[in-house]
Amino acid sequence: MDVQVKLRMPSQARFLAVVRAAVGELGSVYGWPEAECQGVILAVDEAVANIIKHAYHGNSEGAIEVTCLGAADRLEFTLLDQGDPPDPGRICSQPLDDHAHGGRGTHLIRMIMDEVCYERVPGGNRLRLIKNLPAVGCTEKERSDA
Amino acid sequence: MNTATRNNEGTTIVDVTGHIDLGSSPDLRKTLLESLKETDRLAVNLVAVKYIDSSGIASLLEVLKAARQGQKRFVLFGLTSAVRQVLQLTRLTTVFEIRETEQEVLHA
Repeated sequence: MDVQVKLRMPSQARFLAVVRAAVGELGSVYGWPEAECQGVILAVDEAVANIIKHAYHGNSEGAIEVTCLGAADRLEFTLLDQGDPPDPGRICSQPLDDHAHGGRGTHLIRMIMDEVCYERVPGGNRLRLIKNLPAVGCTEKERSDA
Repeated sequence: MNTATRNNEGTTIVDVTGHIDLGSSPDLRKTLLESLKETDRLAVNLVAVKYIDSSGIASLLEVLKAARQGQKRFVLFGLTSAVRQVLQLTRLTTVFEIRETEQEVLHA
């Protein structure tokens, strides 16, 4: 049975820890590999942080809804907000170096997740993040045999 | 996130614990920049950092830039897998001076 976890939070950085904990606990239940789990936690955290910084510009009164649909082989996160739309220049891939101003969060999200889709929806923005996880929930031996 | 600052053989060491994220990275940035003003050698102990995001990396880069401008040494050590993963994904492992242990920092 697929599991759906939904969080609705204000656009405040102190709630990022709650999002990270929820994703991490879900990963533990499903038995995701540690490295994969750390990556997915980072990607979702960066996505929520981007909403706080760029959609709501630090305004703590905005609402963010994070929905995670978990299955044995696939994770789908949907993030909804009612803030400003993302800047196309920021969400497109750009070269990274130590002089780059910003863009690292978006780069991390794209490096970690298999699908990243920004959409403008009535009243706000929707970001869909998908991670395919081969052999999730099986044992280490089954994983190595796969 | 918490920080504690100490001195070891002339190097200022900032021990960082906990999670560095959008909420805590401004405090880290402030602490490190203030420490840098008082020393020529600043090292950040990340052995107890369980999580860092891009805002934390940006703060470290800002301190690195200030150190270079002041011709000072800025070193990271004790990287956990979480910190190392973010530095690798952002292709910054060669930008920072990174050491395994405090002893390496002091004697390199």
